[in-house]
Amino acid sequence: MQFPIFQTPYLGNGMTIALDAVPHVIISHGLAIGAITLIVISEYFGFRKSSREWEAFAKEFLRFTIIITTGLGAITGVGIWLITSALSPRGIGSLLRIFFWPWFAEWIAFTLEVIVILIYYFTWDTWTGEKKKQHIYLGASYIVFSLSSAFLITGILGFMLTPDGWPWDKSFWSAFFNPSFLPQLLLRVSMAFALGAIFSVAFLFATRRESAFRKEALRFFGKVSSISFSATGIFSWWYFTVVPSAFKTHAIFSVLTSRFSQHPEIFYGINAAGIFMLFLFALFGLRGAVFLSRILIIPVLLVSMSFVMEFERVREFIRGPYLLPGYMYANQVLLKEVPLLDKAGMLKNSYWYNMTTHGPDPINQGAYLFAENCSMCHTIGGVNDIKERVKGRTEDGIFVILGHTQDMVPFMPPFSGTDQERRIMAGFLHQLANGKIILGASSRFAPLRGGEK
Amino acid sequence: MNSLFDILLERPLPDEWLQGLLFTSFTLHMVFVLLTLGTAILSVYYFIDAQWGGKPNELRLDKRILKTFMAHKSLAVVLGVAPLLLIQVGFSVPFFTGVNLLAPFWMLLIVFLSVAFLSFDVLAHKLYVHRYLHLASGTIALVSLLAVPALFVAILVTAENSDQWMTIIAHGYRLSGPPARHWLFRYLHVLGAALVFGAAFHYFFSTKDETEKRSLLKWIVAGILLQIILGITLYSSLLEKPDYITNASLLAGVLGAALLLWIIYLSMDKKNTLNIKTVPPLLMLILVPMLLTRQFIQNKKFMPFEKQLQANAQAYQKKAQPYNREALDKYQSDMNIVYDNGETIYVRSCAFCHGEKADGNGAEAKNLAIPPEDISAVRTTRRYLHTILAGGVPGSAMPYFTVFDKYKLDGLIDYLDKKYHVLSLPEPIPASVSDAALRQAQKIYNETCSQCHGMDGRGSAPSKGFQPPPPDFTMYSLSPKRAFDVITNGYIGTVMSPFSTLPEEVRWGLVKIINDKRRQ
Repeated sequence: MQFPIFQTPYLGNGMTIALDAVPHVIISHGLAIGAITLIVISEYFGFRKSSREWEAFAKEFLRFTIIITTGLGAITGVGIWLITSALSPRGIGSLLRIFFWPWFAEWIAFTLEVIVILIYYFTWDTWTGEKKKQHIYLGASYIVFSLSSAFLITGILGFMLTPDGWPWDKSFWSAFFNPSFLPQLLLRVSMAFALGAIFSVAFLFATRRESAFRKEALRFFGKVSSISFSATGIFSWWYFTVVPSAFKTHAIFSVLTSRFSQHPEIFYGINAAGIFMLFLFALFGLRGAVFLSRILIIPVLLVSMSFVMEFERVREFIRGPYLLPGYMYANQVLLKEVPLLDKAGMLKNSYWYNMTTHGPDPINQGAYLFAENCSMCHTIGGVNDIKERVKGRTEDGIFVILGHTQDMVPFMPPFSGTDQERRIMAGFLHQLANGKIILGASSRFAPLRGGEK
Repeated sequence: MNSLFDILLERPLPDEWLQGLLFTSFTLHMVFVLLTLGTAILSVYYFIDAQWGGKPNELRLDKRILKTFMAHKSLAVVLGVAPLLLIQVGFSVPFFTGVNLLAPFWMLLIVFLSVAFLSFDVLAHKLYVHRYLHLASGTIALVSLLAVPALFVAILVTAENSDQWMTIIAHGYRLSGPPARHWLFRYLHVLGAALVFGAAFHYFFSTKDETEKRSLLKWIVAGILLQIILGITLYSSLLEKPDYITNASLLAGVLGAALLLWIIYLSMDKKNTLNIKTVPPLLMLILVPMLLTRQFIQNKKFMPFEKQLQANAQAYQKKAQPYNREALDKYQSDMNIVYDNGETIYVRSCAFCHGEKADGNGAEAKNLAIPPEDISAVRTTRRYLHTILAGGVPGSAMPYFTVFDKYKLDGLIDYLDKKYHVLSLPEPIPASVSDAALRQAQKIYNETCSQCHGMDGRGSAPSKGFQPPPPDFTMYSLSPKRAFDVITNGYIGTVMSPFSTLPEEVRWGLVKIINDKRRQ
């Protein structure tokens, strides 16, 4: 309507963002916050205990970490923004207007963070002896900046689930310090240390170390693991208590999807097994059991990353029909626009439809209505394929269902458009599901070829 | 364009502030972008020079150059956050549209940047890989990195030229004609500037001796001369005639460049090295007016359009605002509905077809050719009902409901059972049927009904393909009254036809036969 439409072919929009965002969360939490904090602590151990081993471990781990964070971490972070700019311009455009100042402050925090970590890295070999203490303080100041980054971003993320009074009073402060802000911040920080400890152990085993040091370091990271794993558990629980029940109730489905939703025992079984494995790992670490920890490290890495993926998936999915609750539906239609478009019509009001198609061809109309209403989540022929979703339904059935999407499936937004447009789209979907329409350019939903098989 | 409108939320800062911040942060960003690009180009060049010129390790200039890559690129990325934020807030519609029209290329930025950054940084930190491998990964990294400004320039050209959007779409979402020419020269102009900035930086910070300095000086001079030629072509490719202020700031930049060339000429003449106190500030004195020129040209394109977008936004807001109250009330009530119990799920997800009394008379029933089932009359098993809920009924409006997990569907089944006894066995028939009528009914069942329903009631082989298929009588029955009704009137919209011509007693006999087939 306001912007042209683009959808990533096959993957769809959600999966595209996930492919970029999940690595970002793992790197930004686990390495940029968790691992670097542990590196500064390791450097401090090296200084206090005059231990070359701790010092060497810290230095080598930092080199690995800084390459990954300034390369992949920063790029995937900006990447989330780049992708949403292309796929969901109205959503990200509105978020930027609401949170311009935190975003701007984030620019400053982010810049300082990078400057400090670069100085910290490049002065490792020069700030020695007397200056070592200052070097450690510099490392500590990096942690402050990286946490302030997390602080600023969590306000924005929390808003997307619990906007508090903002839809009514548009108050910035209630939007930023929304109910899920604090539990989510604590959850993310403890998650960062949990991942950081796991990455540290992985690095410990991946590189050559003295066996006495290896045991000592493993014990330390075991301590960090057991504390941070427990904290993550507690704060996750707190976080989910502030999430509205209307959202929370979709959590199991968000993980299992339609394919497995009738086997919820999978959800509990896998999560319980994952948690058990993590605590077993922490216990082995505490005991300094090098052999057992080494066996577990790769599964534990996978499990911890899967938990991150699961958490982000649940958080993103359960807000369901909304992109910005109380303001914008997931398909970028504003809540207040729905009644307007139901009366005035979606097609008539669309600049891009009217400029790019000629004449009232119902197939193009249907495709465009699908693009505006559904393409944020559904693809044609890819992930969450609409053809599979409406397969077997009669045309009148599709028409009726389209009129009740949000009633019937509480995480779907309502259809926006007149009854006539709803009928056109029902016809389009029915033909599509029966193979009577073949899409031309699937990412733009046009031009189309119709009436032939 | 006449109906496009700005994002409907207030702009967070006045336009003058936005312009000022945008220019300042963009300039900072560009300094490090140019250093990153220049460093990358020079590191690959000096690698080839060192490898095939047989330089010993300690004379490897490329290593020293590449060492600085991590700092340049990290700062280039973080400093880019502010200009991206400001342009997206200040010029939302043109910028996002530009991004969207070139979306696949735009998203590839992430891949290009990751490949370039990781490869260069790994090369910088592990310098002893085989030279062909080094050359290969360095080249891939360089090509990826050079693609990045090409994409950004393309986005800006697209965003600035809203009058070209339909042409871009018509050409398969690609730039073509004059905008494409303008894009090419603008991109090359960025690369030329990168050579000058990169070479100047490494002239002062990475060189160890005179030979290296002389070599980098050549790059600086060649870069400036290239910029003059590219600048002329870029100027001639501008899509609109620049105004006086644009020309004036451009002239300031050109004069700065001439001054720099002159200073270099003097120092070469006297065999002096360049002074670190004059050259970098002078470079900034060239960069700032050049970027100002860019901004003036861009604003001339953006400003009138932006005014129209904001006026349109106000008008649209006026149209939508009256519905705000209604929308917020709906939001509040929706947030209080939790789909975690059978009753809510029935009322919200089922009742619009099946009716509040579950008698099949929902508000939408009139729109459906096959009427929704009278659920209150269903007598089935938990498993069979779950299969219907999880799979839908093909060929009807009844969709699958795996959007609710098993616990929720079980809750729904429990609710339906509690309220309508759907999990009971069918009640005994309310009429008496004589043996003769029953025998006739059995004969009719065997000859007619079984064609579709099968002798055992599970459905005959050909009926499996029906849309919708007949139910399995061993697990699914209806209350005798409803079954009698279906036999009498048929099930509209399905293959099941009416048998109202049969004597009533025979029809009751059929109900008994069918309901006796229930096994579970």
